Amino acid sequence: MSAVANGFAALDGIEILAVDGLLAVSALGLLLVDVAMPAGNKRVIGYGALLLLGLAFAATFTLDLTGTALSGAYVGDGFAIWCKRIFIGAGFFGVLGGLDSTARIGPRRQGEYYQLLLMSVLGMTLLAGARDLILLMVSFELMSLPLYAMAAWGGIGNYPEQKGPIPGMTMPSKRRWHRPAEAGLKLYLVGAVSTVVALYGISLVFGLGGSTRFAVLATTLTGGPLLTLAVAMIVAGFAFKIGAAPFHMWVPDTYEGASTPFVAFLSVAPKAAGFAALVQLLLGPLAGMAATWTTLVVVLIVVSLLVGNLMAVPQQNIKRMLGFSGVAQMGFGLMALLAAGSVTAHDVASRGVRPEGLATLLFFLAAYMVANMGAFFTVEAVAAAGYTPGKPADERDDDDTLPTFAGLHSRSPALALAGLLFVLSLGGIPFAVGFWAKVWVLLSLWAAGFGWLVVMAAALSAAGLFYYLQVARSMYMKAPVGADGTTLPAVKVGGGLLLAIVLLALLTMGVGLFPGPVMEAARIAAGL
Amino acid sequence: MTQQWLPAFAYLAIAASASAIMIIAGLILRVKAKVDEPSKYDTYECGEEPDGNTWIRFHPRYYVVALVFVLFDAEAAFVLPWALNLRELGQFAILEMFLFLAVLMVGWLYAVRKGAIQWQ
Amino acid sequence: MIPVNGEVLQLLLILGAGLFALGLYGVLTRKNTIGLLIGLELMANAVNLNLVAFGRYHGGTDGQVFTLFTIALTVAEVAVGLALVILLHRSRRSTDLDAAADLHG
Repeated sequence: MSAVANGFAALDGIEILAVDGLLAVSALGLLLVDVAMPAGNKRVIGYGALLLLGLAFAATFTLDLTGTALSGAYVGDGFAIWCKRIFIGAGFFGVLGGLDSTARIGPRRQGEYYQLLLMSVLGMTLLAGARDLILLMVSFELMSLPLYAMAAWGGIGNYPEQKGPIPGMTMPSKRRWHRPAEAGLKLYLVGAVSTVVALYGISLVFGLGGSTRFAVLATTLTGGPLLTLAVAMIVAGFAFKIGAAPFHMWVPDTYEGASTPFVAFLSVAPKAAGFAALVQLLLGPLAGMAATWTTLVVVLIVVSLLVGNLMAVPQQNIKRMLGFSGVAQMGFGLMALLAAGSVTAHDVASRGVRPEGLATLLFFLAAYMVANMGAFFTVEAVAAAGYTPGKPADERDDDDTLPTFAGLHSRSPALALAGLLFVLSLGGIPFAVGFWAKVWVLLSLWAAGFGWLVVMAAALSAAGLFYYLQVARSMYMKAPVGADGTTLPAVKVGGGLLLAIVLLALLTMGVGLFPGPVMEAARIAAGL
Repeated sequence: MTQQWLPAFAYLAIAASASAIMIIAGLILRVKAKVDEPSKYDTYECGEEPDGNTWIRFHPRYYVVALVFVLFDAEAAFVLPWALNLRELGQFAILEMFLFLAVLMVGWLYAVRKGAIQWQ
Repeated sequence: MIPVNGEVLQLLLILGAGLFALGLYGVLTRKNTIGLLIGLELMANAVNLNLVAFGRYHGGTDGQVFTLFTIALTVAEVAVGLALVILLHRSRRSTDLDAAADLHG
């Protein structure tokens, strides 16, 4: 390699990684600030993270990030930049909506939380343009590892202790205490196993292709039973990550146990990153194996739609319900991927099909991010209302259940309206952004020749409306009375959470009313 | 084929016979103690009188120290090949490694600050 | 050193697959989280074995470099896992997976 001669040639084109560099420096800088700061309330680090993420988001618009870097291991294109915006945006809202919650869970440990979040976002943004197996896996792990720790956040909290079974022994206070630890452990076990499964598949791809570079692999991979196995393992591994059925077992448990603003982040950003990785691999070096992986993806779609929509109905905990609804949403994301993978050059030439799959996927991921984060923040706002400072955390247990939403309309009309908007968007009701996303996905899938799947998805989505509207019914048509007969208090939202909900609601409505420009931008990002 | 694997088979044979010899030699050579001898059931500590139970609890601090050690240990895996090829790689590699070590130093500072490697 | 030709590669891949299956079996059947982590480590080592074997087969350093990275990744992953197990142990006094069954499911 010529890069070896003077070494510095490896830096060619590095400026397209400016945003990632900013994130890396921010994460390390915040950690240093955290180390240098005296012990105490470290809320200010959250503001720093917010500012830096905002800067990074702006930089994706102002800087020219297209090109090739790292001797071809990284390619900045429209797809990568669009994904970066989703990741950084999700990180921004995750920090903004979680400022209060993070300060509540561990006022002295906020620094690590934001540092981990920035690291995770950094992993995602690197992933978006990775064209090398090593870079892909390293950035994927950089994204995943902080998430495990963040899910367990508050596992050891400042909750009062109580008497243990042995005299003189104290025990952690009940329930709330270990829920985050359990959520983290479940996310970790599933995540780690799925990573290794995907890695095994990738090791086979490397072996059969003889290179780690996608450009080389695309020409050297020919097929055969071993490659089929590799593709199956890669698809299964990443299906775990995005939480598509039948690999979704961790989703409801982790969502229920972890802190809600973190779940808002977890439920969108890593999923989008999982899709980014799938797109890089399946539409890149494994495009020749489309016949194999589209079959697997079809199975995933069918099971995801069935499990997600049917299992969401009986859920009483709203975070679990949103978890299962997310499984169904992943089915839609996979449908966009399927459409992207099954429209061949032949279709384009002979039938005039527009290969819009990738564009619909990008638009869908953005729409899903906005609505889903908003929905989780609404849950957090309602749940946090039941929290009074100084009250033991375990006394406000199970505050994420559907009954806490009863009569939200009369307790906080604006919040109820925002919640309704998010739920309608997730359900795919016209004139919220989710409607356009779903319709566009279905149209592109129809064009790709999967009519039966479109019909099934539409029918199951209609069935899925039931549980989304259950929330709306609870908010608008029930009296604000709790399960024990007491009147539920008014919900006051303030600070970052309010700002996050307002911004997300405006995005959901604004793009829902005027979807044209954003869809066009997604088309351009997908290279159409 | 057989030639290639000869060292491996030899290694396996030696390993198996070594353990077999040890067990058999032990059976023949060892002092036959009465069954109810109490020291027979004690923990073996190189012939010394055992001091306490084997099943003691370790302080959780050990785990944290071990975690920090394992992480920094694994990073050494990147430094070794770098050191071997430094001459060919040129100045950029030196810069890169210092960058890498700087990132590690941030983590190390954090560990120190949080008292992960502090004794008491 | 034994040159890795197609025949040897096949043997190594079978060994890797066996190791992977063994680890997966451990992960699926173990109730103790420490045992689970050991199973995970076996699976990761199967990946490493695959990469090294393929790397030798193809020549060049790609395989070894990839292995170096996967080793580092696995170490970091297991370190996080152990930290989570310690957290579970602190709150439940047990490293048994059944202890973590507070959430439905």
